[in-house]
Amino acid sequence: MTVSHGEVIMLGAVLFFMGAVCAVSRRNLIMILIGVEVMLNAAGIALTGASLYWNALDGQAFVLFIMAFAAAEVAVGLALIVYSQRRTSSVNADTYNLMKG
Amino acid sequence: MSGLYGLVFYMLAAVIVVSTGMAVTRKNQVHAVVYLINSFLGTAVLFYLLGAPLLAALEVIIYAGAIMVLFLFIIMTMGPGVSEPLRLRVRQWVFPSMLGFFCVGAAGLLVFRVRESGDGMPVAMASPAVFGRFVFERYWFAVEIVSLLLFVALVGALYLGKKEDSAAVEIQKDKP
Amino acid sequence: MRTILFLLVFLPLAGALFHILAGRHVSRRVVEIVACSSVAGSFFMALSALPALKQGPLRVIFLRWFEAGDFHAAMDVYYDPLSAVMALMVTFVSALIHVYSVGYMRDDEDYARFFFYLNLFVFCMLVITLADNLVFLFLGWEGVGFCSYALIGFWYRDEANAAAGRKAFLLTRLGDVAFGVALGLVFVLFNRLSISHVNAHAMELTAASATILGLLLLWAAVGKSAQLPLVVWLPDAMAGPTPVSALIHAATMVTAGVYLLMRLFPVVLMSEAALSAIAVVGVLSAFYAACAALAQKDIKRVLAYSTISQLGYMFLAVGAGDVIGSMSFLLSHAFYKALLFLAAGCVIRALHEEHDIFRMGGLRGRLPAVFFLFLAGVLSLGAIPGTGGFINKDRILVAVFSHPDGAFKILWLAAVATSFLTTLYAFRLLFVVFLGRSGQSVEQREIHPMPAVMIRTLWPLAFLALFAGFVNLPAVWGGKEWLAGFLGGVPGTVPHLHVSPGIEWFVAMSDGVVALAAAALAFVLYGPVQATRWRAVFIPAQTVRDFFLSGFYLDRLYQAVLARPYMELARILWLKVDEGALDGGIAASSRTFPLLGSVLRLWTTGRLSTYLLGLLVGLAVMLGLLVIRFYAG
Repeated sequence: MTVSHGEVIMLGAVLFFMGAVCAVSRRNLIMILIGVEVMLNAAGIALTGASLYWNALDGQAFVLFIMAFAAAEVAVGLALIVYSQRRTSSVNADTYNLMKG
Repeated sequence: MSGLYGLVFYMLAAVIVVSTGMAVTRKNQVHAVVYLINSFLGTAVLFYLLGAPLLAALEVIIYAGAIMVLFLFIIMTMGPGVSEPLRLRVRQWVFPSMLGFFCVGAAGLLVFRVRESGDGMPVAMASPAVFGRFVFERYWFAVEIVSLLLFVALVGALYLGKKEDSAAVEIQKDKP
Repeated sequence: MRTILFLLVFLPLAGALFHILAGRHVSRRVVEIVACSSVAGSFFMALSALPALKQGPLRVIFLRWFEAGDFHAAMDVYYDPLSAVMALMVTFVSALIHVYSVGYMRDDEDYARFFFYLNLFVFCMLVITLADNLVFLFLGWEGVGFCSYALIGFWYRDEANAAAGRKAFLLTRLGDVAFGVALGLVFVLFNRLSISHVNAHAMELTAASATILGLLLLWAAVGKSAQLPLVVWLPDAMAGPTPVSALIHAATMVTAGVYLLMRLFPVVLMSEAALSAIAVVGVLSAFYAACAALAQKDIKRVLAYSTISQLGYMFLAVGAGDVIGSMSFLLSHAFYKALLFLAAGCVIRALHEEHDIFRMGGLRGRLPAVFFLFLAGVLSLGAIPGTGGFINKDRILVAVFSHPDGAFKILWLAAVATSFLTTLYAFRLLFVVFLGRSGQSVEQREIHPMPAVMIRTLWPLAFLALFAGFVNLPAVWGGKEWLAGFLGGVPGTVPHLHVSPGIEWFVAMSDGVVALAAAALAFVLYGPVQATRWRAVFIPAQTVRDFFLSGFYLDRLYQAVLARPYMELARILWLKVDEGALDGGIAASSRTFPLLGSVLRLWTTGRLSTYLLGLLVGLAVMLGLLVIRFYAG
């Protein structure tokens, strides 16, 4: 017997919102991406816990795909950051406000 | 048994949470990434605890090993650059933090109302062979899609990373 | 017969339509011919309709206009002796004045518009004269008011003329409100709007409703006939061309008020209070206007106040119960007043639009024909014994004197006093304009040539002015009172005043003495030789003269008490309420929208972090709702 499902989910929740706060309140583009990574990881934890609870492997398969997807997303995202840093020489998210209304 | 597993779980949870907390509050990006690697390692062990050894391995290889290293590469490449000021303005993080606390509280209320805690989960382990067979039997299509996705990401990253003048030079060369 | 009556009423309308549609595209001569012949045609129709009266009064419906339940509005006429006589007078005088206008307006370029309004006016006046349905009469009533407004302000390019027209219209409108109310009241009381029906059933009215109806009709008549208190528009109405003044403000439109009272006399007869009110209004207006006329300097204004005064006599006669006396006085007055106005028009034109009588004088030698014509009119106006005017005024005074109500003796005294003043101002006018010296030597001024038609049309009027009254010569002096006999069939009238010859002689003598004395006084004061001692005694101080000249300052009183507060109220409502509160309120409420927009604009910062924060907020809201749902639901 290990911990209850609820506790695993709570762990996932805590991590998720930590990542969310990081993504929202930091202005450095890299740090925002890091926040996203933390969120994805938290989702993976919750899914694995659910997979154990329901005794099904679908949750773990989903985590596998999340990891793959996260890799792809980070690759493209970082490429974008490099590209825009080359253009505007700034990694501060506040400088990209051309859509200001 | 549950006591031991429970203890391990809480230790791991502490490690993960603390390192994640450190990661998100660092000014230095490299420090943040390293803390995050730490967090991912903890997560890998947690996966093993929760009965997914393959995922644990993959977490270390892909997440900590590939993604975070990529982060480091990019951080080094870009150099210090214009970043955020040394101290974040208060109003930048107060409101999101409050929201975060509120959300965690709400989640706690919801979770422990719906799922009565108390009964622990039975321990199980999915061996890599069983897991692999499962994935390729049930989710083979998703695997193909994900490989396509990776390919697209590759192409995109290549294109975005190209230097601009070289692309112009190549086009010039093609003209008769 | 139906055709004759139809042509009688609608020929002038046809003329008016011709003028408004084609007037500017045909030659001047054609316009003049159409105008005069349409009215002349009406006159001949009026003449040829007369024999039909032997069979009694006639009611003819031309057109059913609209109906709503019991409320029938139709274009119908009631042809009885009263309306026959009135129609004859209206068409005859109108035709003469149309011919006169051909000459008077010879230099004016707007002749098509002028004759359009003039013909339209004649049509509306004939509608008033002959209509049986009260709604149809109201159409004519309003129509004459409109034509009067248009013709007073005919030379509209001068602001003062337009203002005078507006003033006339507004004041008669005040009276017309009472007419509308009376119309409704008649419908409520009788359930029919036909004058003949109302007259036939007038006996069924209670005294109270008869009083109300009578007072409403009196107020409407006061507006139209320029009696107190709605009197101030007539002197200003002299801004219009002189033929207009002669036709509308002497012979026809202003008499429509009295005519209405005469037409509905059986109703008025049912109420002692209404009759007394009519008489009092009449005598007060007569006295007021006679005083004012004494001090006027403008030749037309003297005649305007004189008209008010004479109309007061007609009101007095109706109030005393003598419709026939009032009617014959009306006829006589129409002739001599029109004559006086038209002759004044000749003088004005001859002296290049000069209106001030103290800048005239000695015209007897320069314009002899006009002098005799004017003299004829003045003799009749002043009721010198031996003229038709004297006979008619005498009959009214007898009726008032012999009225059973003793209070009428006071009215008689006032009427006699007014008579004195009337003769006085009439002869004053004659002497100042035509005799003696003037302020500016007339010999040095060149006389503007006058079309002969202007003078030729006046001779018939002069004859009628002097002698038309003789159709009503009382038996005491050998006459037959033909007019009284003719009108005797009209309901509510008293053909023969049954008074003793003694009273007849007494009243006649007193009136004659008064008239001759006034004429003599006028000669002394204003004649060729002006005796300064007499002048010092009889001519009052400048302040009194100014008081009379301005018409007892009534204009200023109305301005201060009615017009100015109303304008103030309008201004306040405009600035404070309309622009301030309403517009301001709407503007303020419309400002909230940009305000809301600018609040919402805070979201569109263009920064990534803001949008991510939005996502987080949304997530928090959803979680909160879920919690609420799970814990409360």
